[in-house]
Amino acid sequence: MSDALHLLSATEIAQRLHAGTLTSRALVEALLIRYRNLNSKVGAFTYLSESDVIAQAEASDERRKQGKTLSSLDGIPVAIKDNIAVKGQPLTCSSKMLAKLISPYDAHVIEALRAAGAIIYGRLNMDEFAMGSSTENSALQKTYNPWDLARIPGGSSGGSAAALAAGFVPLALGSDTGGSIRQPASHCGVVGLKPTYGLISRYGLVAFASSLDQIGPMARSIDDCELLLNALASPDARDMTCFDQGQRTLLPPVAVNQLRIGIPRGILDKGVGQEVAAATRAAIDFYRAQGATIVEVDLPSSDLAVPTYYVVATAEASSNLARYDGVRYGHRSSQATTPVEMMTLSRSEGFGPEVKRRILLGTFVLSAGYADAYYVRALRARSKILSEHLAALEKVDMILTPTVPTPAFKAGEKISDPLQLYLEDIFTIPANLAGLPALSVPCGKSQHLPVGFHLVGAPLSEKKLLAASRVFEASHPYRHQQAPL
Amino acid sequence: MSESPWEIVIGLEVHVQLRTRTKVFASAPWGFGEEPNEQVDPVVLGLPGTLPVVNRVAVEQAILFGLVVEATIPERCAWDRKNYFYPDNPKNYQLTQKDFPVTLGGQVEIELPGPSRNVMGEHKMIRLHHAHLEEDVGKLSHSGSGSLVDYNRAGVPLLEIVTEPDLRSAAEAAAFLNALVTMLTQAGVADCDMEKGQLRCDANVSVRRRGDTQLGTRTETKNLNSISGVRDCIQYEAARQIRELEEGRKITQETRGWNAVNARGYVLRDKEDAHDYRYFPDPDIPTLKIARATVERLQKLVPERPFHRQRRYMEKLGLPYTVTSVLIADKALADWFEAAAAAYPQNPSGIANWVANDLLRDLSAATSAPDAFSEPSVAKVSLVDCRIKPAQLAGLVKITDEGVISKQQAKEVFAEMFRTGQDAGEIVNAKGLRQNSDAGELEKIIQEVIADPAVAKSIAEYRAGNEKAINALKGPIMKRTQGKANPAMIDQLLRKHLG
Amino acid sequence: MAKGFDIDHLAKLARLQLSAEEKALYSNQLSQVLTYFETLARADLPPAANVAQVIEESALRADIPGQSLGVEAVTKIAPASRDGQISVPRVVDDES
Repeated sequence: MSDALHLLSATEIAQRLHAGTLTSRALVEALLIRYRNLNSKVGAFTYLSESDVIAQAEASDERRKQGKTLSSLDGIPVAIKDNIAVKGQPLTCSSKMLAKLISPYDAHVIEALRAAGAIIYGRLNMDEFAMGSSTENSALQKTYNPWDLARIPGGSSGGSAAALAAGFVPLALGSDTGGSIRQPASHCGVVGLKPTYGLISRYGLVAFASSLDQIGPMARSIDDCELLLNALASPDARDMTCFDQGQRTLLPPVAVNQLRIGIPRGILDKGVGQEVAAATRAAIDFYRAQGATIVEVDLPSSDLAVPTYYVVATAEASSNLARYDGVRYGHRSSQATTPVEMMTLSRSEGFGPEVKRRILLGTFVLSAGYADAYYVRALRARSKILSEHLAALEKVDMILTPTVPTPAFKAGEKISDPLQLYLEDIFTIPANLAGLPALSVPCGKSQHLPVGFHLVGAPLSEKKLLAASRVFEASHPYRHQQAPL
Repeated sequence: MSESPWEIVIGLEVHVQLRTRTKVFASAPWGFGEEPNEQVDPVVLGLPGTLPVVNRVAVEQAILFGLVVEATIPERCAWDRKNYFYPDNPKNYQLTQKDFPVTLGGQVEIELPGPSRNVMGEHKMIRLHHAHLEEDVGKLSHSGSGSLVDYNRAGVPLLEIVTEPDLRSAAEAAAFLNALVTMLTQAGVADCDMEKGQLRCDANVSVRRRGDTQLGTRTETKNLNSISGVRDCIQYEAARQIRELEEGRKITQETRGWNAVNARGYVLRDKEDAHDYRYFPDPDIPTLKIARATVERLQKLVPERPFHRQRRYMEKLGLPYTVTSVLIADKALADWFEAAAAAYPQNPSGIANWVANDLLRDLSAATSAPDAFSEPSVAKVSLVDCRIKPAQLAGLVKITDEGVISKQQAKEVFAEMFRTGQDAGEIVNAKGLRQNSDAGELEKIIQEVIADPAVAKSIAEYRAGNEKAINALKGPIMKRTQGKANPAMIDQLLRKHLG
Repeated sequence: MAKGFDIDHLAKLARLQLSAEEKALYSNQLSQVLTYFETLARADLPPAANVAQVIEESALRADIPGQSLGVEAVTKIAPASRDGQISVPRVVDDES
C-alpha cells in the first residue's frame, strides 16, 4: 500500500490522517523512498534533509495524537522552490552566486505553512533567479520532464512541476513572473495558479521582477491547489504590495451554466501547435456543452505583451540583482584587489549567461537616453494592456487560451535562442502585466506530452477560476494518469 | 569694503537624519554608539527576498518639516530607486524620491551677522526647492590594504532638503544652516548633531560677474559635515573659481570633495564620469496618498517660527534685540519665558532679563558642556531639571517691582530659588528680607535722624540747593532700619520733612 | 532604435566583466531582442502610465523597534569579516 501513497492527493492524505489510517511519518517515509529512487533521474530537488522532514512529520503525528492538529494541511509535505526563504536551509535560486547561502529567516509563506502544520519538504530546482522557461538555466543541475526524460519540465518552476508529476510530493510552491508556475504546470500535466498580484506576500521570495512576481500553489488537483492557496493567502505587513484584510475578499464562484468565457479573437491561429489547438478547442467545446456562454473578446495590444514584459522585467531585475556583489553574502571572487574588481568579478563568476543577458538588457532599457524609449513606453503599454483586460473581463468571467503554444521541447533544443524562448510565455505574460489571477489546468496530450489550458480572471477571481476548472477536471481526470517513470 | 566684481551663487543639499526609533524602511533600531552591525536586520542587509516597509513616523517628521518651512505637502508621494554600486550601499540601489517628493517649495528665513552683537543683522528668505525622504548608507572605515563596512547607519531615515540657488556668500550659507538647525530641532524633527553625522551637506557653488543674469558653471562639493566646513569650503571654492576665471580658464562642471584638515577641496570626478543612476519607481513601495487630515493634525504641531517669535517679542512686548536673540534660539527657554510673562504680564522685559541672563547663566553652570555645534551663547540648557517654575520667577519680578524687596535682595532671593525651588515670598519671609515700607515707623526714624546735630550741615547744604546732600541722610536711616527700608520711600519722606 | 547600444558601457554599469566572445554573443542577441521590441516604439500608447497601486498611511509601519539579526549572524554569512565588520578590498574615495 505504501507504494501508492505517492499518488494520493493532499485532500485524500488529509482524510486518511484524520481517520487515523495513515501517519505523516509513514507518508514521508514512502515519499523519501521514491525521492531516493527517482530524484537522480528527474532532478527536481536540489536539497532535502531527510532527518528534518521526518522530525517535522513526527511532530505533526504527535500534535494529532494530542488533538492539537493545526489545520487540514497538518502533516502534509509541501516542497519549496529554491527562491523562497526557509530559515536554516539553502536559498540558492539555482545560482552559483548563492550556492552557499543559508537563509537566516523564513518567508511569510513559510511561516504560514508552519502555522498550518505543513511539512517544509526540501528545495526545488529552477531557472537561475527564475529567469527561463525550461529550468535549463539552473547552475546546480538539470531537471527533466517526468513524462519524457529527454524533455524539459518547463520553467522557471520546473523543479516544482516535475516533483509533482513524479509523485515526489503532493504540493509545491512555485513563483510566477511571466508564466513560471503555469508553463511548467502545463508541460508536466499538473495544476498551477498565479494569484492576483498582492494576494500572497512576497516577503521572502527572492525578487526577479518585483511588480510581476507572485508566489503560487502547484498541485496535482484543483482541490489541492485551492487548499494550498488558502494556507498561503494572508495579510503581511512586511510586503507593502500585499493586500490587507479588507482588500482580499475573493469573488464568489459562478455556476458553469452561468459562466461567460472569453476567447481572444484568432488566438489559435498563430504559432499554436495543432494538438495544443485541438485540446484547447475541446475544452472550449466542453464548457459550451455544459451551458457556458462562449464569447470572442478583443485584446488588441496582445502583441505588445512580450516586449513590454521583457522591458519591465529586465529593468527591475537589473536593479534587484545588483545586491549580489560578493560584499555581504554570496559568492566573492578571490581574484580582486579593489572593490570594483571584487564586485565585477564576483558577479561575472556568480551569474549564468541568461541572468547576465537580462541584467544587460535591463540596464540598457533604464540607461540615460534610452529609458524614455523603452522603460517609460513599456509602462505606458502595460497600462494599456491592463485596461484592455479589465474591459474584456467586464464582459466575461474569464479568458481561456492555451497555456503554452507548444508542448515541452527537448532539452537543449531552444536554449541558444533567447527570443524563441521568450515567446513560450506569450499567453501567460499578460496576467502578470495586469496583475490578474491565472490558472493552468491539464486538458489533454500532444502525443505523449501533457498540455494545459489557461484561464485568466478579474482581480480576486481565484475561486471562480478554480470552480470552473473543477468542473472540467471532474470529467477529465488527468491527474489519475501517472507519468511513466 | 569695496564690492567684489564677482557674485557667488550657492545652493545647498542638506541631509538630515530624522528623529525616529527605527530605520526608514526596516524595523531595525538605530542610534549612536552601538557596536558595528548590531542594528541590522534582513531588510537592512538587503538579504534576498526582503522588502522595504515605510516608517510612518519618518513620513510624518518629513511632512512636519514641510509645514515648518511653509512648503506644499502634495497629495501623493512616491519612492524611486537610485542605482549605483558601492560597498556601503547594501542593495546597490538607494531608495529615494526623485519625481514625487514629500514636500515641495518652502522657505527659510535667515539673519546675517549684524554690525555688532547688539544690532540686528539683515534678514533674507531662502527658497527651498523640495525635500525628499530617503535612506542613509553604511559606514566605511579604512585600515591598511582593506576597508571595513558597518551597516548600522544603513537605512537611517534621511531628509534631503534642497535649496534654490539663493545664497550669496559663505556667511549666508552658515546663517541658513543655523536657521535650519533651529527650525528642525525646535519642531522635534531632528537632533542635527553634526558630531554624530546627523546633518551633512553638499554645496553647489558657481560665480558670475555682478549684473550677469545667467548662472556660471557650478561645482558640487560633497559630504561637508560641519557648518564651519561649509563656510570654509564655499570660501575656498568661490575663490578658486574666481581665480580660474580671472586667469582666463573655464570652470569644469565637476563633483568635488573637501579635506577639512588642510582646508582644501579636490576633484572627485568630472561630468563625463557622472553616474548614470537609472532611476525608476520602486515597485516594492506603492505610491503613498497623504491624507489632508494628517496634514491638519501635524500643522497643529508646528512651533512658532523663531524670527516670527523674535518680532513679536520686540514689537508686542518691547524686548530689546539682544535678549530676544538669546530667547528664540532655544524653544524651551522661550516657552519658559512666555509662561513666566503670562503669569505677570506687567513686566515682560524684567522677566526676559532674568531668563536671558541669570537663569541661563545658572543653568549653563549646572549643565554639562554645550552641544559642540551650537553657538556658545545659545548653549542648550536643561530646563527640565530647573527648580524654578515660570510662575515663581514672575512672582519674584512682581515683588521687586512692588518694592517689597530691592533689586539687590532679588538677586539673593533668585539664587535661593534656583537652589531650592521655593517661592520668592517664602524666602523673603524666612530670611526676613521684606523691605520696611511702614511710613509711620519710618517717619519716626527720619525725625530722630534729622534731629541729630551730626547731620545739620548736610541739611543746611540741601536746603541751600545741593540736591546730593540729601544722600548723606539716607545712610543713617537705612542703618537704623537694618537695610529693610524701601529706598524710594525714604527719599520721598525725607524730602517732605526737609520741606 | 537599437542604435547606441554600447556593450562595454553596459557591462561597466552592471558590474559585469565579459569576454570577447560573450560581448559578441550578447551584443548580437540583445540587438535581435531590441529589434523585436520595435513594436513598442510604433504602438499607439496612452500619454502616461497609470499609478499601479496607491496606499494610505494606515499601511505604513509603526515606529517600533523589531529584532536585529545580531552581528554574529551578519558575519556568519559574510564572505569576509573582521571585528564584527564586513571586510572588503580598500575603498578609494568615490571609486566609480
